[in-house]
Amino acid sequence: MPLDVPAIRSQFPIFQREINGKRLVYLDSAASAQKPQVVIDAMVEVWSHSYANVHRGLYSLAEEATLAYEGARAKFARFINATDVGEIIHVRNATEGINLVAYSWGEEHIHEGDRIVITELEHHANLVPWQQLAKRKGAELAYIPVTDDGSLDLTVLPDLLEEGRTKVVACSVMSNVLGTLPPVSEIAAMAHAAGALVVMDGAQAAPHMPLDVQTLGADFMAFSGHKLCGPGVGVLWGRRELLESMPPFLYGGDMIVTVKRDDSKWNVLPHKFEAGTPPIAEVVGLGAAIDYLTAIGISNIQQHERRIIPYAMARLREIPEIRVLGPAPSERGAVVSFIMDGVHPHDIASVLDEEGICVRAGHHCAQPIHDRFCVPASARASFYIYNDEEDVDALVAALRKTVSLFARRQSTPR
Amino acid sequence: MSHDLYREQLLDHYHNPANYGVLEPADVDIEMDNPTCGDRIHLTARLDSEGHIAAVMFEGQGCVVSMAAASMLTEALVGKAPEEVNRMGLEDVEEMMGGVKLSMGRVKCAMLSLNATKQGLRDAGKLA
Ligand SMILES: Cc1ncc(COP(=O)(O)O)c(C=O)c1O
Repeated sequence: MPLDVPAIRSQFPIFQREINGKRLVYLDSAASAQKPQVVIDAMVEVWSHSYANVHRGLYSLAEEATLAYEGARAKFARFINATDVGEIIHVRNATEGINLVAYSWGEEHIHEGDRIVITELEHHANLVPWQQLAKRKGAELAYIPVTDDGSLDLTVLPDLLEEGRTKVVACSVMSNVLGTLPPVSEIAAMAHAAGALVVMDGAQAAPHMPLDVQTLGADFMAFSGHKLCGPGVGVLWGRRELLESMPPFLYGGDMIVTVKRDDSKWNVLPHKFEAGTPPIAEVVGLGAAIDYLTAIGISNIQQHERRIIPYAMARLREIPEIRVLGPAPSERGAVVSFIMDGVHPHDIASVLDEEGICVRAGHHCAQPIHDRFCVPASARASFYIYNDEEDVDALVAALRKTVSLFARRQSTPR
Repeated sequence: MSHDLYREQLLDHYHNPANYGVLEPADVDIEMDNPTCGDRIHLTARLDSEGHIAAVMFEGQGCVVSMAAASMLTEALVGKAPEEVNRMGLEDVEEMMGGVKLSMGRVKCAMLSLNATKQGLRDAGKLA
């Protein structure tokens, strides 16, 4: 079913405002998505009517808050087809989820001489935790390389897995720079056959495609609520046996069952990994966001983007000064990063801002992949449910304007 | 702010930078980059017998803000004592750039060349 983009836009209060006197064209959802009124209302509702701390109070308000909070957890489980809500850990964001795994699982299972495999297209969130773990342990960090067309070169993987030294393979389900959709199930099958665990970074993929942890073959998967039209909370899913065997990541209240002067016992899953008071209204808000996106239909969202992306790439190709990074339209998610001859990405973003268009400029927290393509930075347009062809046209018109603004004039040498 | 930013004066410095190149020999020789955006500058300077800045040259890559600021700075610094340079801040750079008001995200681009100069003077022992 095609999305009714004007109707969707009207559900997001932010689209009522203007930027520099222009219609807001928001093309930075890959960094963070805008929030529909229902999500804002859900959080206001918690704060206005049902707020208390969770898991502690014996009064009815506390029970209401706990029910809403735990109800959201069940929604997150259904969203990624996890059968066991105890496997859903609320974290701050995908970054924290991956750090939790790298510290809690990694500290115990990575030893000197082991190998950790990641890919060249990882976001720093799925790179630095592994890089630093490898450094702490004297382990090796190996990269699956990216080809010129922006896909992963899996031919190296059998060698990397061969000697059984590889203990974990961490891979993004969708690249936030190139839009690449790595064959994560295939990677998982190979890794598992070699006895390695698989950590999937679902931060970029979760808003755009159905994620099913049962069929993807992940052992851990992390994603962020703020990219799903929700607030700043995240989810880590992990297989129960692994989570059970891991030590806590943070210590304190809520994550214990008993505390004695000299020792403590840990709470059951998922609470063992949720120390301290959680962001209660935010978790409920993310539940509302997931309801909202599910009602639209993640597959419908995916179909919508499969229409926008080829259109955007075809229109960008009309501008000869622009080079798009990454794979063909059919092989990518809803992000398009590009460079423009002779114009720094910062300047592109600033000129576009004048036109009310928000794009990201820089290395998008993924420096190694920019190094791979020998560019210091790029500009990135990313698309979501509230974007349509009209937004692409606005982008292309503003980019043409940028080209002409920067066209080198004949001026007298200084 | 961007209308301001992309007016003729700054674009002109971007396309036709002043003092582009490397001074040899130089009393100050420093490279600095802005890893978050890929701006990069190599700045060289020579001091006169009184220790004041006699000449500055730069080369590098970056956005209009960082390159125009560097170009303008190579002109603005001549005749200044190292301590004077050290006292310069964002307001001076904004004024030097014709009174632009830089947005938060662009401040570090504009300050790259000045920060490089200060660091270079320090490395060369010309500043306490
Ligand atoms: C692929 C990918 N992984 C991880 C992250 C990190 O997300 P967060 O900053 O919400 O932790 C992002 C967000 O930019 C991302 O795009």
